[in-house]
Amino acid sequence: MRTGDYKQTYGELVALVDSPPVWLWSAVAVAALIVAPYALNAYALSFVTIILITVVGTLGLNILTGYTGLISLGHVGFLVTGAYGYAVLVSKYQMHPLVGFLGAGVVPAIASLIVGAPSLRLKGLYLAITTLAFSFIINTVILEARTLTNGARGIPVQRPEIFGISFDSDTAFTWLCLGVAILTLFATLNIRRSRVGRAFVAIRDNDTAARVMGINLHAYKLLAFVTSAFITGISGALYGIYLSFVSVEGFPFLLSIEALAILIVGGLGSALGTVLGTVLIVLLPEATRLVFSLFSAQMDALFSTGAQELKSMLYGLVIILFLRFQPRGLVGLWHDIRRTWVHWPLRY
Amino acid sequence: MQYLTQLLISGLAIGAIYGLIAMGFAVIYKSTGLVNFAQGEMTMIVAYIAWTISTTVSGNLFVVAIGAIVAAVILGLLIERVVMRPMLGEPVFATVMVTIGLAVILRSSINFIWDAYPHGLDVGFGRNIVRVGNIGVRTGQIAVIATLLVLLAAIWAFFRYSKFGVAMRAVASDDRTALLMGISAPRVHAAAWAASSVIAGIAGVFFAISYDLSPAMFQLGLKSFPATILGGLDAVLGSGVGGLLIGITENLAGGYLGSGMKEVAGFLMIIVVLMIRPFGIFGERDIERV
Repeated sequence: MRTGDYKQTYGELVALVDSPPVWLWSAVAVAALIVAPYALNAYALSFVTIILITVVGTLGLNILTGYTGLISLGHVGFLVTGAYGYAVLVSKYQMHPLVGFLGAGVVPAIASLIVGAPSLRLKGLYLAITTLAFSFIINTVILEARTLTNGARGIPVQRPEIFGISFDSDTAFTWLCLGVAILTLFATLNIRRSRVGRAFVAIRDNDTAARVMGINLHAYKLLAFVTSAFITGISGALYGIYLSFVSVEGFPFLLSIEALAILIVGGLGSALGTVLGTVLIVLLPEATRLVFSLFSAQMDALFSTGAQELKSMLYGLVIILFLRFQPRGLVGLWHDIRRTWVHWPLRY
Repeated sequence: MQYLTQLLISGLAIGAIYGLIAMGFAVIYKSTGLVNFAQGEMTMIVAYIAWTISTTVSGNLFVVAIGAIVAAVILGLLIERVVMRPMLGEPVFATVMVTIGLAVILRSSINFIWDAYPHGLDVGFGRNIVRVGNIGVRTGQIAVIATLLVLLAAIWAFFRYSKFGVAMRAVASDDRTALLMGISAPRVHAAAWAASSVIAGIAGVFFAISYDLSPAMFQLGLKSFPATILGGLDAVLGSGVGGLLIGITENLAGGYLGSGMKEVAGFLMIIVVLMIRPFGIFGERDIERV
């Protein structure tokens, strides 16, 4: 009888997945997503695309909040700088889309250096406050820098064509997002199991101990912040392309809260949790709307007028309830179920 | 010269509002070790309740004032008991995230309970203009500066002389020892939340009297962060003074450098303060650099 997972070598500890069936199930999931555009209608497909784009952004935030244990309340700032980085390079200066994606990562990374360098020297919640401030400053900066960003008028963005492959159709664009999401997933999983990732987790678990073991806290925290901003910027570029128009209004502050809600609901510091959390949170407003519309048409009307407010209320409730009753998130729930399944009727 | 004085006075008036909200931050930080990200939202809710009282019950200044204070106390106690108390003993990360969740809920509740349009809170006072020399000042602006000064003195005396104030300081400096001395931490926390809600609520009501009431008012909370960082997160009086400094800085930047700078000036101050003196002007030096 199987009595548990025993890791006997260091190799097993840093393995990408802990059992072969995970590969199989992941392959099934990817295959399902590849054929999804053919099976779903345009409305359902838009949710798939949004989920894939959001996964990229939250995986970025997960490096900062999940691995390193730092709170950022202004990740929407990196999302919007990423989107503008792409839009300015590609739409205004007609550069290659790949250069645009690189710019979408590099511009937020530079911004994160400026915000992070003073605030990450300190222990505590200062990063949360400065990033919150940053997400408001950056909007003013974008609106003022009219020559580069068109100010309040925004920049229209075309779907890209990379190496002769056009991503103009919804199907092709979903595949592009899927590709980026898978790349990001592998990148963050590999960061987690490398020396750098272990340093991040050590800082999260006990920063003094991490310091004693020779980890340069300031440098590693900054590295986590910059990496996180880079990945979030890429997600911002994808979101800008999806909206086909980049403007300050397209990136409301609520997106920062949404990302944090996803991490908490999914389970902090886990890639699987981030994916599960994204699916749940993106579909939550829609699911709530469906449930309520069963009861009365009046509720349905309320949902269409106050959609933004209802969304934020749901996110707030989900954050509070999960922290109170299931702090390990959906991943914790899944682990509990799996353990009960394997060991029943024994407790452990 | 007249332009400068005008800027300074209106800066002091808005600074007094920031200062009050910043004191609300500091009261909670000092006794619970938390940064309450829902402070601006609490400010807004109390202001809206005051507006409802003024339109439905009576527009009398004293009725509105007493109603708003009672509502603020109830709001603070309710939040502490329902949302924060169950998180007692959880990691700071989780508790702070709970205040963020709370902030989003309170912010969006405005649109459901009230509406999305701006309103004016009229209590028959605060809008008329007094001329001092050749400078026009609204009575509401004078009143908020006076209130800030009175509250600063009252809070100083409270922490210095009253038994409960000393208990709060004890919990802040070492909650375990305080517990061994027979101080009830939950009671101290509840008092801190109620007090912070009242202080923030006063700021909200004054803001609604002198300017206007709108669902965007929660941003006052964001703009008060610079004040509390400058004054020191754990310094209640320092945060009040910090508010005045931030208000003046913001107004001068807006008056001489353009309106874009006005929005950003406070936040730039945060970054400068964190680089030079991260514990604030009046804060204690216990900020760890790791």
